[in-house]
Amino acid sequence: MEFNVSTFILEIINFLILIWILQRLFYKPLLETIAKRKQFIDQSLADAKIMQQQAEEQRSHYENRQKLWEQEKQAALTALHQQIEVERRAQMARLNVDLEQERQKINVTIQRQQRELQQQAEKQALLNGARFAGMLLKQSASPELEARLFAILLDNLKTLPEACTLCLQMLGTKKSVPIKITSAYPLTAELRLQLEQKLGLLINSPINFQYHQDAELIAGLRMDIGAWVLNANLQHELMGFAEIADGSE
Amino acid sequence: MDHEFSFTLGPVIIGESLLTTWGIMGVITLIAWLSTRHLELLPSPMQTTVEGIVSAIDEAIRAVAPEHGRQIMPFIATLWLFLIIANLVGLIPGLDSPTRDLSVTSALAVLVFFSVHWFGVKTLGLKSYLHHYLTPSPILLPFHIISEFTRTLALAIRLFGNMMSLEMAAMLILLVAGFLAPIPILMLHIIEALVQAYIFGMLALIYLAGAMQSQQLNSQESL
Repeated sequence: MEFNVSTFILEIINFLILIWILQRLFYKPLLETIAKRKQFIDQSLADAKIMQQQAEEQRSHYENRQKLWEQEKQAALTALHQQIEVERRAQMARLNVDLEQERQKINVTIQRQQRELQQQAEKQALLNGARFAGMLLKQSASPELEARLFAILLDNLKTLPEACTLCLQMLGTKKSVPIKITSAYPLTAELRLQLEQKLGLLINSPINFQYHQDAELIAGLRMDIGAWVLNANLQHELMGFAEIADGSE
Repeated sequence: MDHEFSFTLGPVIIGESLLTTWGIMGVITLIAWLSTRHLELLPSPMQTTVEGIVSAIDEAIRAVAPEHGRQIMPFIATLWLFLIIANLVGLIPGLDSPTRDLSVTSALAVLVFFSVHWFGVKTLGLKSYLHHYLTPSPILLPFHIISEFTRTLALAIRLFGNMMSLEMAAMLILLVAGFLAPIPILMLHIIEALVQAYIFGMLALIYLAGAMQSQQLNSQESL
C-alpha cells in the first residue's frame, strides 16, 4: 500500500523502455510485414483485376470475332445455298430437256417399232392372204377358169390404153415380131386362132407365135411381146399381194 | 504483503513489484524477439498468432482514433500487453501482480496523463490544445483541470484497488474455504485481470483520442 517514489520513477522508465523495445522489436516489424502482405495482396488483386480485364477484353474480342465468323459463315452458307439452288435449277432444266429429248426419241422409236410391227403384220397378212388365195385358186383352177381369163384378156385387148396401142404398133416396124404365149393349160386351136387374130389387128407386122405351158401360172395366160409382158393369169395376180407387201415396207 | 522482498541500490529501493516488472518486461521482450525473428509473407502459426493480436489491438485503437491510431498504437498496445501479463502474474504461486502496487499503477496513470498532453500538443499544437480547455465555455476551465487530475488518480486507484482487493479476497477465501474455492477464484482472477487491463487501456485510449481530436471536433461543429 505504500507509495514508493523510486519504484514509481523506475516503473515510468521501465514502461518507456518497454514501449521502445516493443516498438523496435514487435510492432514495427509486424506492422511492416502486415503492410507488405497487404500490399502484396493488393498487388495480386490488382494484377488479377488487370488479368481479368485482359481476359474480359480477350473474351470480348474473341466473341466479336466469333460473331464475325458466324456472320461470314452464314453469308457463305447463304451464297452456297443460292449457288446450289441455281445449279440445281440449271441441272433440272438440262435434265428436263434431256428427258424430253429422250422421251421424244422413245416415242419415235415406239412409233417406228409400232409401224414396223404394223407393216410386218400387214405384210404377213398379205402373204398369208396370197398363200391362202393361191392355195384356194390352185384348188379351184381349171381349164374353164382359164377360158374365162382368156375371154377377159381378149376384152382387155379391145380396150387397151392408147399408149399401149402405140407401143404395139411400133413393134410392127420390125420384120417379125416374136410373141411368147405361156398358159397353164394347153390352148385349144380355136383359142389360139382367136388370139392370133386379135393380136394381128393390133400389130401390123408378121407375128411369130410360140406357145408354152407353165403350171405355175395356175390359170390364164402370159404374153411376152418383146419387152412388153401382158399377164392375164392368177399367178401374176397373186404376186400382186407380195408386191403390195414389199411396197408397204 | 508483509513479506515483500526488496533490496536497496544506494538511494534506490528495488522492491518485488519492480523485479516482477523487469521479469515481465523480459518475458515480453523475449516473446517479441522470438515471434519476429523470421517474419514471412506466408506466416507460421506463431506469426499468425502475434499478427492477430497486434491487428486486433490496432483495429480497436483505429475504431476509437481513426486518424491517429498508428501514432498512439505503441503506447496503448504496450499498456494492454503489459497490464494483461502483469495482472495475470498473480496466478503464479509465489508471485504477486505488480499492479497491486500503487506505485506501479500511479506510474502508469501518470504516463497516461503526460501522454495525453504530449500527443494532444503534438497533434493540435500548444495553442489549439490549450484552447480546448476553454470550450465550450471558459467557465469550465477549472472543471477541466480538476478532471485531468481526478481521472488520472481514478485510473491509478481503480486498477490498484481492484487488483489489491481481488488478491486479498482470494487469499481470505482460500484461508476460509480450503481446497474447493481456488478454481472459481482463479477464474474470477483471470476475468478480473483481463477486464481491468482492458478498462485501463481503453480509458487511456479514450483520453488520448479525446485530447487529439477534441479541437478537430470543435472546429467541425463550428463549421
